Amino acid sequence: MLTDFHPIAKVSVGQILGLVEAIDEVGGVADVATISQEVEMDVDRLGPILDAAEFLGLLMVHEGDVRITDLSRKLLSANVRERKAILREIIDDIPDFRMITDMGRKAGRPLTRKEIIEALSVHVGSHRAADLFKALVYWGRYVELLRYDSQSEELTLRTPSK
Amino acid sequence: MVDRPLLQVKDVAKSFFENAKEFKVLDLVRFDLTERDFVCVVGPSGSGKSTLLRIIVGLEKPTSGEVFFEGEPIRADNPQVAMVFQSFALFPWLTVEKNVELGLEAKGTLPEERRKIARKFIDAVGLTGFEDAFPRELSGGMKQRVGIARALAIEPLLLCMDEPFSSLDPLTAQNLRDEILQLWTNPDLPPKAVLMVTHAIEEAVYMADRVIVLSSRPGRMIAELEIDLPRPRNRKEPEFYGWVDEIYSLIV
Ligand SMILES: Nc1ncnc2c1ncn2[C@@H]1O[C@H](COP(=O)(O)OP(=O)(O)O)[C@@H](O)[C@H]1O
Ligand SMILES: [Mg+2]
Repeated sequence: MLTDFHPIAKVSVGQILGLVEAIDEVGGVADVATISQEVEMDVDRLGPILDAAEFLGLLMVHEGDVRITDLSRKLLSANVRERKAILREIIDDIPDFRMITDMGRKAGRPLTRKEIIEALSVHVGSHRAADLFKALVYWGRYVELLRYDSQSEELTLRTPSK
Repeated sequence: MVDRPLLQVKDVAKSFFENAKEFKVLDLVRFDLTERDFVCVVGPSGSGKSTLLRIIVGLEKPTSGEVFFEGEPIRADNPQVAMVFQSFALFPWLTVEKNVELGLEAKGTLPEERRKIARKFIDAVGLTGFEDAFPRELSGGMKQRVGIARALAIEPLLLCMDEPFSSLDPLTAQNLRDEILQLWTNPDLPPKAVLMVTHAIEEAVYMADRVIVLSSRPGRMIAELEIDLPRPRNRKEPEFYGWVDEIYSLIV
């Protein structure tokens, strides 16, 4: 069950896909130390990316082994557009993300950064709200469900291109 | 029909002079590029790779030797050649879309058409959704995607890339390599040939059909190798590692 947005807040799509590709290349399963060595990244830096991939359902961690899933195989063989569509379904279901899109739909007008951060603060506290907002914008743009103008600080909903 | 080479690099040498002292950087580099070539030049840092690319795009004159593009001496303002930089070279005050439109503006393309073309290539590199974002709002991999979209937007015949992955973390870099190779298999997209320079041997073997190996300074061509591995390549296979080891032993 996906809870809050936190696990994917600090990593990029490219890092997650790169990690899944790397594990696929060594046969689809490996322990964390091996992966760290393979991709030449410290476990410290790798940790958040592993967590994010697991959160999205792209990896399964069991007794120290990290295994790629059917969903990751589907993602790896997909083109850029299909990848976005697959990730869109996942992102769209995350409660924090839903909260914003629901707000936007109800309001029927662009939302301001300020009002979204206020709403997020209620859930995650004000110290985390700004980071969370940034992450929601990043992923929302990537899956083409949000549009954000950082000059006017206005966020609108978007219909993904086909 | 025999293809005329798209690019001919003929015995290019380059020296810099300081206080009347010659400092040789490149010596007798010689190779051709034809359509559908994906060539990597690999060499240690300081072997003159960036200098070679600057000569090939006409930004720098060789001390001796010549470069021909489609049979003509290369010119700096040739719109058929585009460059992607290690440092991304984006304008921080412009949006993704405006950054991509830059090369088209220089070509004199009209605004409406510019927008259309920019969107097409923004989409090709997976950045639809970020048209209005500023570089500071992007991850490193996405910044380089903007650099690539901008280069492709002028629809060049030849795409030159100078260490395009070396300022990215290893995961982001690998993901972007794969996406570039995916783009390369799409015959509807430019360019006709790619020339990439890198110091990373593994990267060269992963990407290229042909690898040109430069010695340490002054960069001399010590080998030109056809990498006949099937794609997609697996960096874990012994055949792959055989190539990497071979090039490694040539350089050291
Ligand atoms: N404009 C210049 N003036 C003097 N020396 C230069 C100039 N450009 C490059 N060099 C020198 O030429 C050598 C090769 O540089 P470069 O082409 O950047 O190598 P690489 O890209 O392979 O690392 C380096 O020693 C560099 O300091
Ligand atoms: Mg260089």
